[in-house]
Amino acid sequence: MDKQQIEQGVVKVVCQVLNVDPGMVQPESNFVFDLGAESVQSVELVAGFEEEFGIEMDEDAALSVETVGMAVEFITKVCKEQGVEVEE
Amino acid sequence: MADVKTPHPLVDTTEPNLVEDVYPYDLPPLIEFEGPVVETIDGRAVEFDLGAVKDRPIYITDTTFRDGQQARPPYTVDQMVHIYDLMARISGPGGVVRQTEFFLYTKNDRETLDRCRALGHTYPECTGWIRAVKGDFRLVKQAGLAESGLLTSSSDYHIFHKLKFKSRRQCMDSYCAVVDAALEAGVRPRCHLEDVTRADIDGFVLPFVDRLMEMSRGLPEQQTVKIRLCDTMGFGISYPGARLPRSIPKLIYKLNRECGVPSDRLEWHGHNDFHKVHANAATAWLYGCDFVNTTVFGFGERTGNPPLEGAVFEYIALKGDLCGIDTTAITALAEYMRSIGLPIPDNYPFAGRAFNVTRAGIHAGGLRQDERIYNIFDTAKLLGRPPRVAITDKSGTDGVALWVSEFFGLKGGEQISKIKCAKLARWVIDQYEVEGRLTAISDTELEAKTRELMPDFWQKFK
Repeated sequence: MDKQQIEQGVVKVVCQVLNVDPGMVQPESNFVFDLGAESVQSVELVAGFEEEFGIEMDEDAALSVETVGMAVEFITKVCKEQGVEVEE
Repeated sequence: MADVKTPHPLVDTTEPNLVEDVYPYDLPPLIEFEGPVVETIDGRAVEFDLGAVKDRPIYITDTTFRDGQQARPPYTVDQMVHIYDLMARISGPGGVVRQTEFFLYTKNDRETLDRCRALGHTYPECTGWIRAVKGDFRLVKQAGLAESGLLTSSSDYHIFHKLKFKSRRQCMDSYCAVVDAALEAGVRPRCHLEDVTRADIDGFVLPFVDRLMEMSRGLPEQQTVKIRLCDTMGFGISYPGARLPRSIPKLIYKLNRECGVPSDRLEWHGHNDFHKVHANAATAWLYGCDFVNTTVFGFGERTGNPPLEGAVFEYIALKGDLCGIDTTAITALAEYMRSIGLPIPDNYPFAGRAFNVTRAGIHAGGLRQDERIYNIFDTAKLLGRPPRVAITDKSGTDGVALWVSEFFGLKGGEQISKIKCAKLARWVIDQYEVEGRLTAISDTELEAKTRELMPDFWQKFK
């Protein structure tokens, strides 16, 4: 898996959970303020990322991620820590 | 705004101060005092050392089968015997719940008394309750009771308008004749000063109590007259500075220090018409009255009496020790009362089904981190009731995660992450936002949904 695939996976989950158009999902998009994520949707996003990438994330750390770009970075880091190969 | 005279520098720390000397968690929060309280009585400043209560022999008494039964259809004999048995469990070997009183008029009354005594509990001691009628003492003697309460109403509302006495003198003479009859019969009289918070204290109550004290002079201690101060309409006031006849501190002071009624012969009986019933009873304890009269869950005439279980936790908080009390029997008693059709409101302290159940997601979040944040004390240890969460639209994912952890018995680090509960939390929210539901979600529904939406988790832990 490469970084682009992670970005695509993140966009896919965000669109599914928040029911938004892919064009709205930019690296700087804030989940709450730009994409309108409610409390339960933040949890659903993290659950969706875990399922999409086959990883487990720390609850507090994952829920403190604010933007799409930060999510890509965070997931990349967790993938590496949990033995999922990521090409730079 | 006034000038700030005293600076208050921040005491910075990385270790929390949980004030555990006051909130030990395995006991109810402790009540401690610093310095005396000053009450102005008849123009003089009188000091009260409220902290002395820790070492005074204070007790709870009960009137569930008397006042408690005036608020409902009668209990069956079996029901009363079972309630008495549980009351004895709460009381413990030290007899914190010291006495309970019984009617003596019917065959059922007497059978109940016999069967309760046959259980062999030392406490609560069984006492009687009769009208202020001389002949009734025969009933007390026949029942083999050492003590009985008798009505000696003290306000002019009762003296003139209810009992139709021509004068206070006639009334007092009549009461004293009944007290004499009790003493002659070898029964200890406990005079119930009905409606005392609406009485003429100087003009009737104190002279009557003086006379009762005079009648007690020279008698063996176990025969001397006891006084029950009956706040029949819940008019009593606990605040320092309040005036007689409503002031509880002043009433107790007058009887205790001016009439010389020892604290161990003074009892407070309250009613809850102004939501003051428990605080008033505790105030009576603090100002020198050794006994407070209660009913289980406060069931009593109109708005009820001081709740026995409230007095139990107050007692422990004042003493700083369980003193042999079995607090878990309160839960058994609540379950029993519900089983015989006595409603206890869900939010009723210590005993309601939801007294330590949170519905707010933000509180559930706190409970997940450390139950002490939103639980009053260790309710699992003291009442067999761990804090719980009820699921509604306000529960949030924290509430759902806490419910799942409780359901599977997961504690501390084992508790489930709310990430794993996302699907269940979504189902809960959709119940309200999509389906328009207006009721809480039952445990049975949640159990079924957990099985469906979290199959791996179910397999692993159930």
